[in-house]
Formats: sequence, C-alpha cells, structure tokens
Amino acid sequence: MKKLFLIIFLASINLVLNAQMNKIEYQEYTLDNGLHVILHQDKSTPIVAVSVMYHVGSKNEKPDRTGFAHFFEHLLFEGSENIERGEYDTYVEKAGGTLNANTSYDRTYYYEILPSNQLALGLWLESERMLHAKVEQKGVDTQREVVKEERRQRIDNQPYGSILQESLKRAYKVHPYKWPIIGYMEHLNAAEEQDYKNFYNDFYTPNNAVLSIAGDIDYNDAKKLIAKYFGAIPIKTKTVYRPTAVEPAMAGEVRDTVYDNIQLPAVVMTYRIPAQGTPDYYAVEMLGTLLSQGQSSRLYKSLVDEQQKALFVGNFSLGLEDPGVAIAFGITNMGVDILDLEKAINAEIEKIQNELISDKEFQKLRNQTESDFISGNSRVAGIAESLANYHMYFDDTSLINNELKRYLAVTKEDIQRVAKKYYDSNNRVVLHYLPKPVNP
Amino acid sequence: MQKFSIYILLMSFVFVQCSKKTTDGMVDKTKEKMSKVDPALAWRAGAPAAGPARDIKLGDYTSFDLDNGLKVIIVENHKLPKVSYQLSLNNDPILEGDQVGYVSFAGTMMGHGTSTKSKADIDASIDYIGANLNTSSSGIYASSLKKHSDKLLAIMTDVLYNPSFPKTEFDKLKTQALSGLATSKTDPNTMASNLASVLNYGKEHPYGEVRTEESVNNISLDNCMQYYNTYFKPNNAFLIVVGDVNTEEAKTQAKKYFGKWKSGKIPTSTYKKPNPIKGANVSFANKDGAVQSVINITYPVDLKPGQKDLVKARVMNNILGGGIFSGRLMQNLREDKAYTYGARSRLSSDELVGDFVAFASVRNAVTDSSVTEFIHEMKRLVNEPVSAEDLQLVKNSMTGSFARSLESAQTIARFARNTYKHNLSKDYYQNYLKRLEAVSIDDVSAMAKKYIRPENANIIIAGSKDDVAHTLKKFDADGVVDFYDAFGTKLEDVANVLPTGLNGMTVINDYFESLGGMKKLKDVKTMVSKMTAEVMGQKMNMEMGQKDNKLFYMEMSMGGNVMQEQRFNGVKGKIGGMGQNQVVTEGDQFDSMKDQAVIIGQLNYLDGKHTINLKGIENVGDQKAYKLEIIKPGGKKSYEYYSVQNNLLIKSTSTQEVPGSEPATITTEYEDYKEVSGVQFPHKITLIGAMPFPLVMIADSYTVNGTIPTEKFNVD
Repeated sequence: MKKLFLIIFLASINLVLNAQMNKIEYQEYTLDNGLHVILHQDKSTPIVAVSVMYHVGSKNEKPDRTGFAHFFEHLLFEGSENIERGEYDTYVEKAGGTLNANTSYDRTYYYEILPSNQLALGLWLESERMLHAKVEQKGVDTQREVVKEERRQRIDNQPYGSILQESLKRAYKVHPYKWPIIGYMEHLNAAEEQDYKNFYNDFYTPNNAVLSIAGDIDYNDAKKLIAKYFGAIPIKTKTVYRPTAVEPAMAGEVRDTVYDNIQLPAVVMTYRIPAQGTPDYYAVEMLGTLLSQGQSSRLYKSLVDEQQKALFVGNFSLGLEDPGVAIAFGITNMGVDILDLEKAINAEIEKIQNELISDKEFQKLRNQTESDFISGNSRVAGIAESLANYHMYFDDTSLINNELKRYLAVTKEDIQRVAKKYYDSNNRVVLHYLPKPVNP
Repeated sequence: MQKFSIYILLMSFVFVQCSKKTTDGMVDKTKEKMSKVDPALAWRAGAPAAGPARDIKLGDYTSFDLDNGLKVIIVENHKLPKVSYQLSLNNDPILEGDQVGYVSFAGTMMGHGTSTKSKADIDASIDYIGANLNTSSSGIYASSLKKHSDKLLAIMTDVLYNPSFPKTEFDKLKTQALSGLATSKTDPNTMASNLASVLNYGKEHPYGEVRTEESVNNISLDNCMQYYNTYFKPNNAFLIVVGDVNTEEAKTQAKKYFGKWKSGKIPTSTYKKPNPIKGANVSFANKDGAVQSVINITYPVDLKPGQKDLVKARVMNNILGGGIFSGRLMQNLREDKAYTYGARSRLSSDELVGDFVAFASVRNAVTDSSVTEFIHEMKRLVNEPVSAEDLQLVKNSMTGSFARSLESAQTIARFARNTYKHNLSKDYYQNYLKRLEAVSIDDVSAMAKKYIRPENANIIIAGSKDDVAHTLKKFDADGVVDFYDAFGTKLEDVANVLPTGLNGMTVINDYFESLGGMKKLKDVKTMVSKMTAEVMGQKMNMEMGQKDNKLFYMEMSMGGNVMQEQRFNGVKGKIGGMGQNQVVTEGDQFDSMKDQAVIIGQLNYLDGKHTINLKGIENVGDQKAYKLEIIKPGGKKSYEYYSVQNNLLIKSTSTQEVPGSEPATITTEYEDYKEVSGVQFPHKITLIGAMPFPLVMIADSYTVNGTIPTEKFNVD
C-alpha cells in the first residue's frame, strides 16, 4: 500500500466570528493520488455521512451531449466490478442507511448516511464507484428512460418548471451554463458507449474528487480505512477538462415570451452576476436578501402586500463557479397585467439603485444573514456537503466557520453599487410566462 | 370574417414555446465494462463487515402543565445557538361546509395584524431579528437565534392574544387564495390530491372538503374571528420548546409568556366514518397537454396512532413502496420498467381515519401499464409471503431511519407530544425498535390482507384526457371512467347530455340560422371590417376586406404607419410591411389566405371535404358550448365552440406553424354580436397566444356589400 501524504491541520482557532456560533472542527489531507479528504467528528448520534463530490457538472459536457453528467450520475448506481446491478441500494438499505446523489452545473455529489458502525461499507461502495464502475446495457436503457421521466416530472409537466432552462438559454450565448443540467431529450438518446467510457476516465479520477465524512467517527480509524479503500485508486487523468468559455457581456436586454401550461402569467428577470466567492457576489446575495427574504422584504412588502399585484415574488441568485445569474420573478395575482407587475418590480429595484438603504434595514439584512448561516450546520449530512463545497470551490475549508465574515464585510454602499451594476436592464433577460391557450 | 390573419401578428413577435419533443430511446448494443478486474484487487470482492453497533438512545425531555392547562414540553439541544417555540392545538377537525378554507384563513389572519401592530410592523420586527413566525389554524411556530428569544416570544404572544383581523388583510388573503386556486388547475399533483380527498372521505367529512372558488368567496371574516375565539385555548394545547435553552430558563419563559392565557370550553366534534370504497373506481381529472399522468391508487383505512399493529402495517407498506429504493414499486416501475422517476406508497395513521395511497408520475403512453403493475404488486403482497431477506432489509432500513431521525431534537419533542396526544404508553418510543424487530413474515401477510385492497380502491389519474383516459376503462369495476374538475366536482358525461340527433353539421346549420339565415349569408358579396386594439399603450388599427369569397386584404397600422399588410388576388398572395415583402403562391400561408377570403368561413364546411365532429359540451367561461372538431381536407385539425344557448361561435382554437419556432396554439374568442345588414357580427374579438398578451380587438365598423377599390387586392 502506498504511503499516505498527509497534511493534517486543525481548523484555525482564531477568528471565531460570533461568540454564539459553535465552531465546526475538522481535519483534512490529500492522498498521493490527489483525493482530498475532509473529516468532521460529531458523536451525538450514531450515524455517519460518507460523501464524494466530483468536480464535474453539466458545464463540463459537450454541447451535443447535454444532460450527460446527470445521466452518468444515475448510471453510477448501476454497479461495479464487485457490485451487481441494484446492489448499491440493497447494501445501503440493508445496513440501515440511505443514499442518493445529485448533479449541479458545477459538480456531482454522492452520499450515504449510515449507522456509524457501517463506515467501512460506505467507503467500500464509494471507492468501488471511483475505481471500477460497471454499467450493463439494461441499466443504460432503463436509466435513460428514468431520466426522461425525471425531466418530464420536474420541467415539462411542472407549472413554471422550465423557468431556469428558458432563462439561462438566453442569458448565455457561449458558456455551457446555457443548457439545462438535465439536458435535452435528443442528447440523452444520442449517448453511446464511448461517451460513458470517456466521461468516466475524464472526470471520475481521485484527483478530481473530495471525500467528505461527517458524524460519529474516530479520526484514526477512519483514516486507516480511507487509506485502505481509496489509497490505491489510480489517477486516470492528470488534467481535468474545465470549460474556458468566457461569456461576453450582454449586448442589451433580451425579451421573450414562453407559453406554458399555467393559469397565471409570470415575469422572470434574469441578471448576469459575478462568480460565487467574489466580493461582489456576496453583495449581490445581500441585495437578494433585501429584495425578497421575509415578508418585510422590498419585493414582498410592496408587490404582494401593498400593491397586491403579485401572488408570489422571489429573488434568488445562482451562485456558480463561473459567473452566474440572479433571478427576480413574480407570479401575477388574478387579473393583473403582467406588464404592470414588471414595472412595479423594476420600480423597487430602481429605488435601491437610487436611495441608500437605512442603517436599520441594513442591520436587518446582517441579522438575517447571521441567522441563516448559523442554522446551516444542523445535520452531519449537510456539514459533510458544505465542507466539500468550500474545499472544491474556494480551496478554503475554513470558510465553513468564516464565510459569514465575507457577507458582513458588505457595506450599504456595496449593495447600492451592485444593484446599479448588475441589476441593469441591459444586463438581463426578461421572460413573460403566459398561459398556453387551452388545447382543444 | 372571424379568422383574422394570425401569421402576421406572429411574425412581428419572437415566439417561444418549450420543447416537449420526445423520441424513442436509442438502444445501445454494447455491454459496458469500464475497467478490467485486477487480481491484486480480489480483496475488494465482498462488502466489509459492520463494526460493533452503538446503542440508539432517545434524548430526554421535560414536561409540565401550566395552571391554565397548557402542556409544556422542553427538549434541550445545544449544538446550535437557536431555539424554537411551537404552540400546537389539539382540537378536533372542523367541517367547514360552504366556507371551506375559513379555518385556515383564521390561522393565517392571526399573523396579519394585532391591536397595536399592523402586518407590516409584525413582519418588520420578525425579519429584524432574522427570525421565523408562522401562524396556522392549529397553532404558531416561531424560531430564532437564542439571543433574540425574548423579543421573539413577545411578538409570538402578541399575535396569540391580540389578533385584530383587519378587513383589508382579509380581502387581500381572499384575492391570493383565489389566485392560488387558479394555479392548482394546472398542477396535476394538486388535482389528484383534491380528487383523493373528495372520493376517499366524501364531502360530509372534514378530510373530504376541498377549497373551491365558490367556497373561498363565501368565507366571512366573522367566521374566522369566531374560530379564533372558540378554539385558541391553552387547555387542549402544547407548547414545545426545543433548542439551546436550559430547562429552567424555558420554564420561566413558558410561565411568563403563556401563564396568563385564559382557558375555556372547547367544542368537540365527532364524524361518521367514511364509507369503505366498493369496487375499483377510475376517476380522471383532465390537464390539457400533460406529458405525464399522476397516478394515485388510494382508499381510507382504519389505522390509528399507537394501534397495536401499526409498526407491522408500516413494515408491510415499506416492503411495497415505502421511502426506500428497494421498495417493490420502485424496483418494478422504475428500475425494471423505467415507467417513472419514482413510485411509492404511503400508509398513514390518524385518529379519525387514515389512508393508503400508492403513487407515481408516469409518461402518458405507459399510464395503463403502470396501473397494471401497481395492482400486480399490491396483489402479490397480499397473496405471497415475503422473503425473510426482504423483511430484514426493511426492518434494518426502518431502524436506521429511526436512528437518523434522532439527530434532530425536534424528533424527541414530537415523540413526547404524540405520547400525550394519542395516550401512548410512556415507553412507546423506547420500545419501538423492539416491536419492529419482532415483526414476522406472517405479520406482514396479515397486514397486507387487512390493509391492501386494489379491488376496492379509487384509481385516480390526473393527466391528458385525450391521450390517456380511454386506456383506463378496464380497471374500473363498472367499466366507466368518471371525470372531475381540478377540485373534485364531478363533470357530466357528454354522452348523456348531448341531445339526440345532434351532430357537427347540425350545430353549423344552427349557427348559420342564428347569424341571419343562409339566404342573407349568401347575399354578402363584399365586406370591410375595421377594428381597433390597444398594444402597449398605443392604438393599433386593422382593416380587412373580402370580396366574392375569393379576394382578400388586410392592413394593420400603428400611429399611421402600416406595420403589416396582406393582399390576396385569388392566385397569389403578398405579405409585407416594415420593409419586408414576400409573395406566396403555395403552402400553409397561401392556404390560410385563401381561407380568409371566404367571408363566412364556415360556408367552406359545406364542400364535403371537411369533417365536422361533435366532441361534446364544455364550459367556455360561464357558457356551455358545443365543441366541434374541424378536420380540413389536408388533415389539419382545429376546434370551434358554439354556444348551446344561442348557437353562435364563441371560441376557436387552432395550431399555427411559426417560421423558425415551435407551432403555436391560438385561441380566438368572439363576443358582443350585433346585427349589421341583417347578419350578426362579433364586435369584440380577443386573440390569445399570438402575442405576449391577449389582443382585444373592438370592431369600429363592418361594411357589407360596399365597393372596394381593386388595387386593395393587388399583389404585383
């Protein structure tokens, strides 16, 4: 067995931001094969979350194979050289655990939550997936149809379900964020054997993954087991493909109409924003809180409560590795003209652009942000994922304790500035969602 | 006359429609192998053994009663500096009658104003401390960081003691509820669950009541206040405190904030048990254009919390389709047949009446096959004993799930509340795992026989009627599929309500009569229609002329500028305006212009080449209408709706090709018929689907048999 290259360091003890916040302790190191390992011990419940995050998402796909990263995620539950079709589920559930996975624009995440005496099982299952996954034809055929049903259930048959797909399709011209994570039906059909092989070798390599474990573990025992199961997994490729496309600034507002099986029209405004982790991104997040968190937020209070133009309003930013988007949207109350609602949303945004917010409202945003951040680490499964995220995206796991500082560094002036800079009409896509006339 | 040129409108606006194409799965012939087995890796062949198991321990709680009868439950958990307060009423469900929704309104209204605070004040003070506050008919939930807990409790109790039920907030809530109901008309899951409520329990049972526009409109503010005054009492309620608080501190808070809450008499209600479902009943809610069907196979069951066989019944249900991938429904319908993203079943206990439901969303083409597989799996569980292995897997997974749930302190609080609420023995949850482990194969069979009954079930489908409904008759005991609207109101069967002797052509002939009679219609040789519409604050004028049913023109202008024009001389057509010019001599656009030259378009139907089918009676707005399917000589279909009351055309829909985009469905509505030269013409026409908003066109004039200058039809 190879010697482990261990870099263990305890999370820095300094800078505990808030006396009330309970710090998350962890250890992390990298194996010789490049697999990054993060461990967090919490013995309060006899369970353990075992997770592997691969740095591959829909943005790593070829333009004619959209949806492949997610489809592949389904296929990687099909088995390995030592695990027969269907056995991933039975091993975990027989052990009293649960398992699942999900795929985003930027990464793919697999996890099991097991009784803590089954840690080895979780490591074996994940190492099998990384070392020598195996997919039979039956599995490919089945999962392709399952994914299509997932697409129908989440997007095609879901009122307003296509908002993200339709908005990003127009917000991006060259960057792979322009296609939906779940992909297009014709691409799902087109995938061939060589595609699977290539994808596995190109992305499912230990140096492109983070193994993150949280729960009732003993640090030393866990490290020994990790060495056993993951230490000998070979590197499949040294350089992992990352898209280099830089999306140019928008040439002006894009407006469009989408007809959907809905009853109430909706307006969806998608603004291009900087990548997650940048100072402006945190300011945009605070702006989002100002706009739509809680019923005293600008959009909710004005549009739902006071003007009663909207049944629902929201604003959220899609924090992504490459520059992402923030989406402000509203569903009209019955009988309200969609243009009226759009104007009213714009008026609220303009108000923020033109008038600095009050100290009191600014303090509210900081309090809301603090409360959300602290509430985030309530379960070991969530902690395992957050730790992996912080390492993968920012190469700074300590952000699990410190990221709040970045939010609190945002000033009132920053919020006004990013409102002007990014929530600009020339930097957005406006979609009107309208009821598709009833089919005969 | 009614067919205003739609192409033109479409061409001027970018048009989008979501892609809904599906293609058949391509079959890969090869078997996948991603790497070769290395003998040095032989040690990896088997799954590693488990280590010694740690005990699963239930956390502690404290409970005591305040003098006013409020039962306080406290669970300490110091992981995060947060605390939550949940006030939970333990009252009987209420039958709401013709005001379904008022109880929930009452709960929501409590958070919408107090004697000293407006809704805006409450929202501002809650958000200022980054807290959550949620009021409902069954209580109040509030949570925040520990450091804000006193502020939070002050707001929470203000809402509890002094709600002011302002009329403006009430009206607002109504508008929102009505808008919300509109959205549920396109949400297949809501539709299916509405049908399940009505069909499982009946409208005489509180669980069978479904909100409708009518019931929401009926809700009175007085009734909401009455509910609050009658039912918000401490003597049948719990206060559950969970989080970073020590027990003494929590006790002090409970006394301080809830001690003065006045107790009072709370009415109780009893309800007749819903009738068991007899036979298999297929019920259908239509969602036009749905690409999946939501399937619910469901019926009420007699299963109470704490009942002796509850854990056995749960094990049985989890083998069938509980929340695990290894469930039989999931394995069969997803992993084997690939009909769905997920198929599951749920068996719920309840003091009044519980229910069973097996459910999935499946693509249209496999809807009936999926129902077959559901029934197959249900019967298999009843008729065949489960394997020891299947049973053990489910028991293990339930044990694990129980252990995981204990990570949240809220679970301990819930256990404590349930113990009091349902009069469970003190060690009910302590002994849960023992009871679970004791469940045998025979127990599972007995439970399946008792609780699984596909032959006496509601088989509810929400999906595309045209694509799916006809395949489902075979599952119904009487062979009849019943149709419901989105809220579980039964729709009349078309076959029974159509007068005998009526068919597509008789509807058309009645229409001609209502317009003024065939003779008058044939006398119309030329016609000029002028209309005005408003587009984004600007006036748009349209003028259309037709002659001898052969020539046609149309001009559309805004602010004096011609935006678009069409001219058709019987041989070729021209589409122009805004600098573009296109001559058409064949194809869809040509055919459409040719059609539009016919003044009374329906006269074409008499040529013997059109097929006119009467599809039934449907509601158009608040009018009943005959729905006709029109199949043109080329096979193109469109639909027209004629008023049952006066035989006039009130709506038409057709699908139009759009250059460079997905086809669009265009709906045209006709209103305000008035007589001009002995013929009825609609003076308000609304076009929906051609532009990003409905285009309302008001007729300024119709001129019959005037002279039209020939250059109007000039193409060259």
